[in-house]
Amino acid sequence: MIDRLGWAALAAAAATVPLLTSNTYYLYLVISIGLLTIVTAGLNVLVGFTGQTSLGHAGLYAFGAYTAALCVTRAGMSEWAAIVAAIAVTSIVGAAVAAAALRVSGPYLAMVTIAFGLIVEGVLIEWGSVTGGPGGIFNIPKPALRTHYWTVMLAATLALWLTANLRRSAWGRAFLAVKSSEVAAESLGLSSYYVRIVAFTVSAAFAGAAGALFTFLNGYISPDSFTLQTSIVFLLALLFGGLGRIAGPVAGSLALTILPELLTSLLDYRLILYGTLLLVSIYWLPEGVIGALSRGRRRTAPHPALSPEGRGFYSTLPLPHRGRGPQFEPKGEAVRRGLDSQGALLTVSGVSLSFGGVAALADVGLTVDRRSIHAVIGPNGAGKTSLLNVLSGFYAPDGGELTLDGRSTVGLPPCVLARAGIARTFQTAQGFGGLSAWENVAVGVAGRRLGSILGALAGLPQARSREAAIHARGHALLHALGLEAAAAEPAEALAAGLRRKLEIARALATDPCLLMLDEPAAGLSPAEITALDGQLTGLRDRGGPAVILVEHHMDLVMAVSDRITVLDYGRVIADGIPETVRRDPSVIEAYLGAAP
Amino acid sequence: MYGLVALGYHITWATSRTMNFSQGAAVMAGAVVAYAVFVALGWPLPVAIAVTLAALACFGALVERVAVRPFFLRASPAWLLATIAVGIIAENVAQLTFGKDARAFPSPLMQKPIMVGSAGFYAQELLVPAVGLVLMGLVQLFYHRTSYGKQLKAVAWNPEAAGLMGINIPRAVMASYALSALLAGVAGILLAPLLNVSPQMGTIIGLKAFAVAIIGGLTSAPGIIVAGLGYGLVESFTAGYISTRAREIVGFGLVILVLVARPWGLLGEKPSRRV
Repeated sequence: MIDRLGWAALAAAAATVPLLTSNTYYLYLVISIGLLTIVTAGLNVLVGFTGQTSLGHAGLYAFGAYTAALCVTRAGMSEWAAIVAAIAVTSIVGAAVAAAALRVSGPYLAMVTIAFGLIVEGVLIEWGSVTGGPGGIFNIPKPALRTHYWTVMLAATLALWLTANLRRSAWGRAFLAVKSSEVAAESLGLSSYYVRIVAFTVSAAFAGAAGALFTFLNGYISPDSFTLQTSIVFLLALLFGGLGRIAGPVAGSLALTILPELLTSLLDYRLILYGTLLLVSIYWLPEGVIGALSRGRRRTAPHPALSPEGRGFYSTLPLPHRGRGPQFEPKGEAVRRGLDSQGALLTVSGVSLSFGGVAALADVGLTVDRRSIHAVIGPNGAGKTSLLNVLSGFYAPDGGELTLDGRSTVGLPPCVLARAGIARTFQTAQGFGGLSAWENVAVGVAGRRLGSILGALAGLPQARSREAAIHARGHALLHALGLEAAAAEPAEALAAGLRRKLEIARALATDPCLLMLDEPAAGLSPAEITALDGQLTGLRDRGGPAVILVEHHMDLVMAVSDRITVLDYGRVIADGIPETVRRDPSVIEAYLGAAP
Repeated sequence: MYGLVALGYHITWATSRTMNFSQGAAVMAGAVVAYAVFVALGWPLPVAIAVTLAALACFGALVERVAVRPFFLRASPAWLLATIAVGIIAENVAQLTFGKDARAFPSPLMQKPIMVGSAGFYAQELLVPAVGLVLMGLVQLFYHRTSYGKQLKAVAWNPEAAGLMGINIPRAVMASYALSALLAGVAGILLAPLLNVSPQMGTIIGLKAFAVAIIGGLTSAPGIIVAGLGYGLVESFTAGYISTRAREIVGFGLVILVLVARPWGLLGEKPSRRV
């Protein structure tokens, strides 16, 4: 409610400026705020949602501005056609830059984007025949300032609306998931590389639009407007306003445009001002002005129903959602074949893996049948988790063969394996911070099928019906795991036991044919373990996915397993039904030491 | 000369997995302080160098304290932005105290060029790579032969475990920042006679040095020195055969190529991902 009032007040203020004053200075100022808002709204998608820093957006901004200017002056296009062309060109450039740059992340990415910005700046100055060199392009036909005012305000509103839609869509969740835990996101079928490229391209398109509008504000452009410092100001506005907040760009743009104007007498100190502002916002406003404002009224106490013991844990774990629901197709033939055809689901033979001379796995072989629970046990350091990492594609084995449903999976990346139906949980829970419990599961439900990015931006009906389907399925899973009451809680606020449950819900949400649980019972109460026991067998008996269970809790393992493989020092020392394994002398020796 | 500054990135990266993006400002500070003490105050050169290096070590420690420590171990790029902020502030401060104009820095090694065939160069230009190589050697010795160097490496590998082994992590990181800024200061003093001294001189050097560090591999000191020399050569060739501006375009284009082909650098270690 307060949010809506704030937006309405802002819109009203923007609308009254041209009525109150005919002073072009003020119009110019508000237009500048609008332009900065558009760029930072786009940057927010990249930095705020996806967590990647770009210091080269001035380069993209320049692409938009020069494309628009050239379209109008050379090709004689209309203003609107030029803006569309600028957005198209910048998106293509952005996608190309992203494809190259996003092979790296963090400080490396910052460097690549800085390099990109400097190259663009250099080319603008050098390539005089097209860009006009250091002097830039003059005499660009421009609309009346007042008309342009409305155009920019409309565009800025549109930009904020688009990012708000995006944040609520499957794409928005995918962005945040990749930011929070790349590993977990990949285990759900998302390619973090691809997701980041899309985010970069969206932010490039926004920068291009703003650049084009900038061209029509002044009627001339020159390389001076597109320096590294411009990129820094973009980022600073976003950080100061509030990273990842929809309203952040507005607040940051207001501050960063008006402040220097108020302090024109202190022009020489401008850089100090920027630097200090940057430090201040990093220190005291990690979520920006908007974050600081909204923190005050957020509910902080956890929901009362959320004690770890609450609700029937695993009471009615639903079956994988096969073929139900008209708008939401299951993972496709691969999964159904995986569950319904004959023969072993997963075979592992001769797999070895070593880390710098230390053999984690040596000649490991095992076979997992459909609809079975296959436990992998062994002392600490036996290579159990390494095996899961190999099976889910995080480690490439040094040798050996892996087949899922008769097809080799060696060398396939985690996200491809996840799409083929392998789901997993992690030994240390990897919830997606910044997303609610429901949204965590929703990332799993959607997997890589995120729909069209344009649909997500515009909030099209098709995207909305997709949302409804994801919503229904996500809540069904949460309900089944007794997490319904926590649906709206941020994942990082949940207790450890609940986080574990959430992770299982998320893995099941991908409709797997093979579910791998890495120590699901760790940290659970005896009652919860009993419930887990019943639930796992229930899942199997109703034709659910095969389960690989890595676990130390022997009662659970013995009770539910159809087959057990025992690892020690990376080798299989026993394999068979629980009764045989229990009596196997080498197993007893591995656990208890040699008999005297 | 880029190698020398780039080595500074390597040192802090090797200790704390963070980098001082205000290295460029440190180079500038080195030149400016040396100018102030040597030219303006007229102190003897050895004293001026000592004062400059001491000042730079303090600058590095300050950067660490203000811009890195609060964010160390927090998985966020905040340190990156914070060090940039410090660099911006330093540049502005220099501008206010030193003035915007570039000034020449006299050096005995710049009096007359040594002629080899038709090409001439100054002794000062030889001094830069020579000092670079010597310092690289010292840094390598420090890391591999001294226990303090090994401690710094341990911090890089696993800060938590290193802390439990009794290593004072904040001090180790601060030391690496001081050392890193010190190297930048050396570069600043050496470069002062070649370029002119001005508050803006640092930014582009810092960026190019970062490019060199990435090309050579942040984890590899020899890689960085080799990349530094290579980058310098490529630059002079482009400047000679195409144009001065193209030099930057080619240089940064090279970085992007290297990152696409070998993101961990020419001689760096390929990082393995931990799941």
